[in-house]
Amino acid sequence: MKKTECVAMLLAGGQGSRLGVLTQKIAKPAVPYGGKYRIIDFPLSNCVNSGIDTVGVLTQYQPLELNDYIGSGKPWDLDRNNKGVHILPPYQKSKGGDWYKGTANAIYQNIHFIERYNPEYVLILSGDHIYKMDYSKMIAAHKKTDSAATIAVLDVSLEEATRFGIMNVNPDDTIYEFEEKPAKPKSTLASMGIYVFKWDKLRKYLCEDEANPNSSNDFGKDIIPAMLSGGEKMMVYRFDDYWKDVGTVESLWDANLDLLNPKIDLNLSDSNWKIYSRTKARPPHYIGEGAEVVNSLVSVGCEIYGNIDYSILFENVTVEEGATVEYSLAMPGAVIKKGAKVRYAIIAEDAVIEEGATVGCSPEDCGDSADWGIAVVGDNLKIGKNATVGAGKMITKDVKEGEKI
Amino acid sequence: MSTNNLLGIIFANVHDDLIPELTEKRSMASIPFGGRYRLIDFSLSNLVNAGVTKVGILTRANYQSLMDHLGAGKPWDLDRKNGGMFILPPYSTNISGVYRGHVDALAGAMTFLKKSFGEYVIMCDADVVSNIDIEDMLEKHIEKGADISVAYKYGDLPKNHKDTMILEVDGDSMIKGIEVSKTMDTQVNFSLDVCIMKREKLIDLVAEADRNRFTSFAREVFMTKLGELKMYAYKVDGFAEVIDSYENYVNISNKLFDKKNRDQLFNAARPVYTKVKDDMPTRYGIESVTSNSIVADGCVIEGTVKNSILFRGVKVGKGAVVENCIVMQGGVIGDGCAVQNVTMDKGAVITDGVKISGTDKKYIFVPKDRKI
Repeated sequence: MKKTECVAMLLAGGQGSRLGVLTQKIAKPAVPYGGKYRIIDFPLSNCVNSGIDTVGVLTQYQPLELNDYIGSGKPWDLDRNNKGVHILPPYQKSKGGDWYKGTANAIYQNIHFIERYNPEYVLILSGDHIYKMDYSKMIAAHKKTDSAATIAVLDVSLEEATRFGIMNVNPDDTIYEFEEKPAKPKSTLASMGIYVFKWDKLRKYLCEDEANPNSSNDFGKDIIPAMLSGGEKMMVYRFDDYWKDVGTVESLWDANLDLLNPKIDLNLSDSNWKIYSRTKARPPHYIGEGAEVVNSLVSVGCEIYGNIDYSILFENVTVEEGATVEYSLAMPGAVIKKGAKVRYAIIAEDAVIEEGATVGCSPEDCGDSADWGIAVVGDNLKIGKNATVGAGKMITKDVKEGEKI
Repeated sequence: MSTNNLLGIIFANVHDDLIPELTEKRSMASIPFGGRYRLIDFSLSNLVNAGVTKVGILTRANYQSLMDHLGAGKPWDLDRKNGGMFILPPYSTNISGVYRGHVDALAGAMTFLKKSFGEYVIMCDADVVSNIDIEDMLEKHIEKGADISVAYKYGDLPKNHKDTMILEVDGDSMIKGIEVSKTMDTQVNFSLDVCIMKREKLIDLVAEADRNRFTSFAREVFMTKLGELKMYAYKVDGFAEVIDSYENYVNISNKLFDKKNRDQLFNAARPVYTKVKDDMPTRYGIESVTSNSIVADGCVIEGTVKNSILFRGVKVGKGAVVENCIVMQGGVIGDGCAVQNVTMDKGAVITDGVKISGTDKKYIFVPKDRKI
């Protein structure tokens, strides 16, 4: 078999605490997206489509569902003899054992995994973003410039630049400075958290970083600045297609509804660049008589009798007669009963919205107040009959019949 | 009890000739059904849901589409080191190159039968759409001390089959009489061509029937052995339909609009598995109108769809009206079309503005990849 030139390491251990109840029981990369996917399907499918067939997935926070989901890697064609996908949790060593202290430490603790393949390059990815990217082009650019590190960047607006890690570059796109969330950005090139390293260089800096007791063992905060001050050649790789961080409830909701926006090019079943996912064996969906479904995505196993507008229904969602779902996401197994109204909301897996209940409301109906937001109902919860859940509320326990929150 | 003790056999090319429209380029087993399935998915899923881990699929002709669909058996978890899926094409003997009936087919697969482990064999025909609890059937078979068990249904006899067994069943569910080649206007107990027996028994029966140059299992084996062997009839109450003509294919497809039938056939405890296509969920456009329809993944619907079944990746253009139609995978209905009572085979295209309509009784058939 062909030697592995590049190993991908996918950082999937983050909690994603800003997603609140949505990541209470699952790691962020396992959060459902787009009617049938999980966030991690994007980096995994990108890897396979880019010809990268050796992927280590670093897990730590709530790994059960993620481990189940990845399994042997079959859905992504990553069930290989020697290569393929490997789940790498923190583990006990003969001299103690540690949780992953930071992103760099997570890679450090798995140096032996990477060494097994003796690669030229290591690609560092995270499970937090929705995008389609050909990593092989980035690796080709990295080889061509003979850099120690290449960092993928997106040109953002000046205003957005204050929320990202910003790369300050020379005219030839070499990086001279990295600034985390600068108040006064000098550049608008935001790091996408995608790095290609020469493995021997990365290995050296990881070991040095580990030996430094004051380090937070983080790629952005420690490794990149250390390499810059070490005089290594570092380049940016400019990317200008769709890319979205789904770290908050609003951005997750936005990124989902982007699939319905005809102006955004995000075709996930493009035969040249498919996004693969593990799917359950469910029949096609059924749209009943009297249902109204417009401008929406509907997945397998759904039974729809109500009105759906500008929404994404994941597998096995039931929407009964007279119920309304607008500008919302209904995750797998959610049930919206007769006459219930769901607007500007995310209903997590297997949650039940009982008859006549109302969840969320539109910005106009809420008087566009500053505290307006997307309402979220946690998984397996029940919103009682005729109960009301206001805009922007995050529901973490059952809501009783008639209750107003 | 471990059902690994059960070897599965599926007849893929049964009665192909009864549905020439859909079997021109495929076998009965690979006829698309229910929005995302092929007929064989139902038998195959019934077997694996009962824990069967080794299945022989007997094919005769036109089996390329079937091979494409089955691959290495991954979707059914039949890509195994031990057991798994075996496609058994016709085995040429000095008597006949291509088999004629079930006996011939089994005689050709004798090596497979003899080399397999498993005390029992279950045989199914691929033209039956059902969700049968095979595990329960095997338990009853053993409990009854039967030599042969046959699954049956009470209802209208499939009209076009020449040798469907009509069963006379006693109060203890044992078969007391078998008739074939009859036309009946009343409802009867008829065989669903799903039967269980000991593997050794099947080997003996096939060897004997082959010596006698028998071809029909029903007529020549089961009927003649009725006095000698103990035969149990296993009643199937849920959705179970035999597809025996194009008209009947359309009618049975349309039965899925009834929620009760969907719930039975797509029983969540015994799911129906099929090849995965990795399509996006279906996209409904801003002016789309959809009612009473079954829609698979990957469709883009901009027009109106009523009382129809859309398979994966179907496109319905703006202003188009699709009513009472079965549109198979990749079908395209252009802008402003009016399509009524039509079955479109895979990849068929109705170009913009075309109006075409069949009748309730007879859906017009548009062949595979045809452009109108």
